[in-house]
Amino acid sequence: MTIKVAVIGGGVAGLSAAYFLAKNGAEVSVFEQKYLLYGASGRNSGGLTAQFRNEALIKLALRSLELYNTLQSEIGFNFLLRRDGYVKIANDEVANVLKDEVEIQKRAGVNVKIVDPDFVKSLFPDINENAFSIASYFADGGVVFPWPVVWGLAKGCKELGVKVYDYTPVSVEVKGNEVVGVRVDDELHRADYVINAAGAWSNEISRQAGVELNNKIFKEEICVTESLKPYLDPYILDVSTNVYISQSMRGEIVGGILGNETNNINVKSSLDFLTKYAKRVVELVPKLRGMSILRQWAGVYDLGRDGLPVIGPTKVKGFIQLNGFGRNGMSTAPAAGEALAEYILKGKSKILEYFKP
Amino acid sequence: MKDRKVVCRCEDLTEEEIIHAIELGYDDLESLKRFTGATTGPCQGKGCLMHLLRILSQKTGKSVDEIGVTTQRQPVNPVPLYILAAAEKGDGE
Repeated sequence: MTIKVAVIGGGVAGLSAAYFLAKNGAEVSVFEQKYLLYGASGRNSGGLTAQFRNEALIKLALRSLELYNTLQSEIGFNFLLRRDGYVKIANDEVANVLKDEVEIQKRAGVNVKIVDPDFVKSLFPDINENAFSIASYFADGGVVFPWPVVWGLAKGCKELGVKVYDYTPVSVEVKGNEVVGVRVDDELHRADYVINAAGAWSNEISRQAGVELNNKIFKEEICVTESLKPYLDPYILDVSTNVYISQSMRGEIVGGILGNETNNINVKSSLDFLTKYAKRVVELVPKLRGMSILRQWAGVYDLGRDGLPVIGPTKVKGFIQLNGFGRNGMSTAPAAGEALAEYILKGKSKILEYFKP
Repeated sequence: MKDRKVVCRCEDLTEEEIIHAIELGYDDLESLKRFTGATTGPCQGKGCLMHLLRILSQKTGKSVDEIGVTTQRQPVNPVPLYILAAAEKGDGE
C-alpha cells in the first residue's frame, strides 16, 4: 500500500522531504499557505556553512552541501551555487569562542581552520584587516541563491508526481491520538503522515494537532545594494557585530544582521537596521561606502528550544515535526528532508535521533 | 529588433520573456516578480510593475484588482551606505 503524506510548508525543508519521499514511492502533497518563497526560504541570504557547535547538525550541513551538488543536476535546475568559502570574522572579545568551535568542527570532519586577517584579505582584498582580529575559514562553504533552490525542488517534486498547492492554508485534523490528514477549506485531505514544515508558523500548526512545540521565533532583516561586477567570493559573517555580507550572482551586495527573538510574526523593515548595518559595512569594506542600498526586507524563522531543529514523530501518531532550523535551514534542511523520508519509509534514521521532538 | 518590447529596463526583460515565465507556471505576481527579477532592479518597479500587471491580466484573464500589487520595498529611491552610516539614529523601532 502506498504511504500518503501531507507536507505543510513549501520551503526548503518541506520540499526536500517531499522530494525524497516521492522518489522512494510515497504519495505526497505539499501545502503552502502563500506563494512559494513567502517564508524564510525565500527571504534569506543563502549562506551555506557547517561551522556549527553541534556534531549532528554539522553532519546535516555536510550532507546538505553534497545534496546541493547532486540535486541540481538530478533535477535539472541551476541553484546558482558558489562554493567559494564561508568566513566567520571576530574581534578579540569573541576570539576564544571561534577557536573553541573550530576544534569541535575539526573533530566532526569539517575542513575549517583559524586564519588571520591577512588571509581573509587575500580572499577579499577590499576588506579592512584592522576591523577584526581573527577568522575561521570553511573552504567548502559558500552561497546559494535560495529562490532557484525552492523552484528547483518544486519542479523535481512535481516531476515525481507530488502535488504542490500554493495559496492553500490548511489545518491539521486529528482523531483520537492519530492524525487523519489536513483540512483545506471544507475538504479533508487524508494522509497517513502530516509533516509540519511550516517554519515560523510551526508552533501554530503543532497546536492544531494538540502537540506543544514552543519553538522560538526570530525576525531578521536583510538588504541589497545596486549590482557590482562579481568580486566578493566568500560569505562573510562578523560574529562580533552579527553583520554579514556576500555577493549574489546578480552582483548585489546582500547583507544583514542576525535576527532577534520576537513574540509576534511580522516582516516589517526598519531604518534602525539599515543604519546599524551601514555603519559596520563601511568599517569592514570602506570602498563600499558610495554604494546605494536598493531594497530591504525582513523574514521570520523558528528555532527549536535547544537551539537545534526539531525533527521526528510526536505523541500524535503520524504527526511529524520538521522545523526549528533557525537561520540555518538553507545549510541543513535538504539533508534533514532526506533523513526524514528514510525514517518514514524505513522506520529508522540514525541522524534524526539527535533532533527528536 | 523593432518587435522586441522591453518592459523592464533594469533587468533587461522583454514582454516575450514575461509571457514565457507565466506559461512556465509563475502566474501570480509574487512568483513572476521573483522568477523574472522584474520590479527588483534599481527602479524598484516604478517602470515595470504596470507592464507586469497588464501582461498578467491579459494572459490569465484576472482583473488588476484580483492580481494585486507586490510589497513596496524601502527605500523608495536608492540611498548610499555612507549617508545611512552617518545617521545618528534610526526610526527607534
